[in-house]
Amino acid sequence: MSDDSTQRMPTLEKEQGAGASGGGGHLEQSASAADYDPGAHGGGGGRNGRFWSLRRVPAGIVALVLLGVAAILLYDVASVRAGDPAMAWRRTLANEMAATALNDPKVLASACVVTLLGVWLIALAVTPGERGLLPMRRETATVRAGLERSAAGLVLRDRAMQVSGVQSVRVAVGRRKIRAHAQAHFRDLHEVRGDLDSTLGDGIRQLGLARRPSLSVHVRRPKKR
Amino acid sequence: MGVILRAVNRVLLTLIGLLLLALGLAMLTAGFDLPRRWNFSLPSDWPWTSPHDVILSDADRTRWRSESWWWPVVIGVLAVLVIVLLWWLLAQLRRRRLGEVLVESGDGEGALLRGKALENVLEAETASLQGVDKAAVRLTGRRTTPGAVMGVTLSAHAAPGPVLTRITDEALEHARESVALEKLPAEVRFRAAKHRPERVL
Repeated sequence: MSDDSTQRMPTLEKEQGAGASGGGGHLEQSASAADYDPGAHGGGGGRNGRFWSLRRVPAGIVALVLLGVAAILLYDVASVRAGDPAMAWRRTLANEMAATALNDPKVLASACVVTLLGVWLIALAVTPGERGLLPMRRETATVRAGLERSAAGLVLRDRAMQVSGVQSVRVAVGRRKIRAHAQAHFRDLHEVRGDLDSTLGDGIRQLGLARRPSLSVHVRRPKKR
Repeated sequence: MGVILRAVNRVLLTLIGLLLLALGLAMLTAGFDLPRRWNFSLPSDWPWTSPHDVILSDADRTRWRSESWWWPVVIGVLAVLVIVLLWWLLAQLRRRRLGEVLVESGDGEGALLRGKALENVLEAETASLQGVDKAAVRLTGRRTTPGAVMGVTLSAHAAPGPVLTRITDEALEHARESVALEKLPAEVRFRAAKHRPERVL
């Protein structure tokens, strides 16, 4: 992974915001706190890598399908050996396969499907998955933590609602970027945006993520009814 | 914590994916007559070389049928496949849980603590921390080197970073001390309970 290159010195500071709060001052000036705190990611006691999914579901589905095919085939082959006639589908399949040429559209289409399925399985196997879980900064080597994106969104929404003038707010948490869309029914829009920038910047810092997402804030008036 | 299952799943998915990919590409190559169009030749024992080849001819299908080893090998391979696939499928459904933890007293004597007891204590202490609504803990690993998998539901207005610090320094640290372990590795996942936005004015 690329994000474990920056190492934090092994200081024993317990306060989350202590090291980073110096960056809070310039938040009010910029309309969007896109790079409010550069160089703040990187972690303490261990690697800050992504969570790698176990891939239980795809493995289970593939295992179930293959198991079904292998079990039916085994049953049929064994029963034929024991003197019973083969099942009808196996005859049909054998005849079809011996009669269909490769340039038959059906064959080409299924070959495409098989190829894509192969690519998809390989992609599932080599990518981390768990895209909904944001890795958190590691303070000790033994504890790994992740924050669900939906939870991060709720925490930030609660904070944004405390800014005066904000009537409603929608916070979309992406893996690298957080977008907040607020409707302010009083106060100057620029002031509200400045307050939201600093409040949400502080809120993002308190999320304790390994890699701080960037932030963009949009404020507008609610629609007139 | 599922390290082996994760590796097995990913390796097997890669292998099956590669097989499917190779099969599909081989059929597409012959089906669209690419060797002739793009002027390359396939090895002579390649299964399909021209678009008019059939998928599996009767001759190929019954090639080894008269050999005495053919049916035992087919049945044996299928039986092994069924057993391996059954194991693989069951491994997905099973969740490993540590039954008991070995508490060493240091003088050669030891005690066994029910894993459920430690789980309950960890859950209770974590849930009592500020900013935590609910906690669910599962112990994994071996009884001499247990690990904890924690699912933590944040309460409204919680700050996840400080909450994690409190869990690490209090709940996990107390649990580690109480069973006299050198370390208690943990994996923590934070969720949040859905709630309506509150206006604070």
